[in-house]
Amino acid sequence: MLVGEGAEARIYSVRVFGKRLLVKVREPKEYRVRELDRAIRKSRTRREARIMSSLNKNGVPVPRIFAAGAFSIYMERVDGKLLKDMRRRGGAMRRAGEILAKMHGLGIVHGDFTPANIIANGSDVRVIDFGLSDYSSGDEEKAVDLLLMKRAVPARSYRAFRDSYLAHSKDGKRILGRLAGIELRGRYQTRTLE
Amino acid sequence: MAVIGIESSAHTFGVGIAEGGRVLANEKEMYRIGTKGMIPDEVADFHIGNAGGVIRRALEKAGLGSGDISGIGYTRGPGMGPCLQVGQLAARFLAVRLGIRIVPVNHAVGHIEAARSFGGLDDPVALYVSGGNSQVLKLAERPFRHYRVLGETFDIGVGNMLDTFARKTGLNPAWGSTVDMAGRGGRYIELPYSVKGMDFSFTGLLTKALALSRERGMRDLCFSLEETAFAMLCETAERALLLTNSNELCVCGGVAQNARLRGMLRSMAEEHGVRFGFAPDEFNADNGGMIALVAERMLDAGRSVPVGRCDIEQRYRIEKAHVV
Repeated sequence: MLVGEGAEARIYSVRVFGKRLLVKVREPKEYRVRELDRAIRKSRTRREARIMSSLNKNGVPVPRIFAAGAFSIYMERVDGKLLKDMRRRGGAMRRAGEILAKMHGLGIVHGDFTPANIIANGSDVRVIDFGLSDYSSGDEEKAVDLLLMKRAVPARSYRAFRDSYLAHSKDGKRILGRLAGIELRGRYQTRTLE
Repeated sequence: MAVIGIESSAHTFGVGIAEGGRVLANEKEMYRIGTKGMIPDEVADFHIGNAGGVIRRALEKAGLGSGDISGIGYTRGPGMGPCLQVGQLAARFLAVRLGIRIVPVNHAVGHIEAARSFGGLDDPVALYVSGGNSQVLKLAERPFRHYRVLGETFDIGVGNMLDTFARKTGLNPAWGSTVDMAGRGGRYIELPYSVKGMDFSFTGLLTKALALSRERGMRDLCFSLEETAFAMLCETAERALLLTNSNELCVCGGVAQNARLRGMLRSMAEEHGVRFGFAPDEFNADNGGMIALVAERMLDAGRSVPVGRCDIEQRYRIEKAHVV
């Protein structure tokens, strides 16, 4: 049963050995050449599965992975509410900052770290959709993770998130400095008006 | 009463005339790029030499005299300073001479307006792709009505990327459509594909393609360069459509003249049941008609500016422009 559709994948709910799982399938895009299409779907699926299991192993709260094929990942179903649909989210924002700091400490960047990819169930906050995640030790990519969140939420929510990130990250100060640098590069100066 | 629009942000000096949301004339002269690309001062000289003639031609084409003109708009930016200056001066001169109202226009808003108008769309997600710019945009109401940048290039515009590849590999004329022609029938070579959320970057792709240009055939390389870059644009436009829950998409700007890019976007739009539209080629390449369309709307909304306060702004970001 189809339960969700993103820009690049569909999420189905399936029953495997009596257990309800989600399977994320990257389906072909007709608009791009077949070789590029397969290469993108394959490398993203593999990278996503690897990163999620490595995060799991290191105690970062993400859905557990059961199996991965060339274009599909079978994972645990996470219940809760998306951060973007929540009204009071200060606590969840702080927890999200802590989680991102831990992820960055492991050399992993999310690539699309926005309230649409964070699920909260009471105090249980988890990050989903590692479709654009990557291994990176560079400050630039880490700063972009923060920038995406900054652009997606009101200033007060962002401050809660940022302060918690700073408190939990060894290199937080330096990365925020980099973020300020990115924002100064002409293209970003006046980007968010809302 | 008709409104004149003057465009001079880059290689094109364009004059359009609009009345009641219809374009009556769209005349232009384009600086020939050759193999060197654009040198701002030389392009400005070219525009100075053409301004008077193109304005006259546009009036003739529309069958109007100067007495039929009630207002004028010009491109305030973004663009190259010396070039913008020429259009601005011509517009101010006409405004004073004819005693008509004048309004500065954002170049990118002009491109979107052309696609909206000719594509019959109301409130689309807009993919704006040209030499200097590559952005995914959507109208937002707060704090004032403007186009919000949902995603954009981290470095150079897609057109600039294709032009640079053409220039450095000796293609003539050195721009995107030559790359497009050279790549017809090519086979795909894997190149760096760089998308972050709804943002993207082209310099890594360009560097890799240039590095491969000694060992791989130009046809395969040109084909793959375009396929990779366009797939990145398509993916971000697709993400923006889903994120904003939109049912309309348009593509505009110089690179929107590329049939392959339009085909990819159409196929993607159809898959999501989204209406897809764009303007005819002469309104995707830089032109005065689009500026006239926006200027007419702005003047109707009372947005004229005193001649003495008319200026240019090389980095006039689209989200700073009030949209009516």
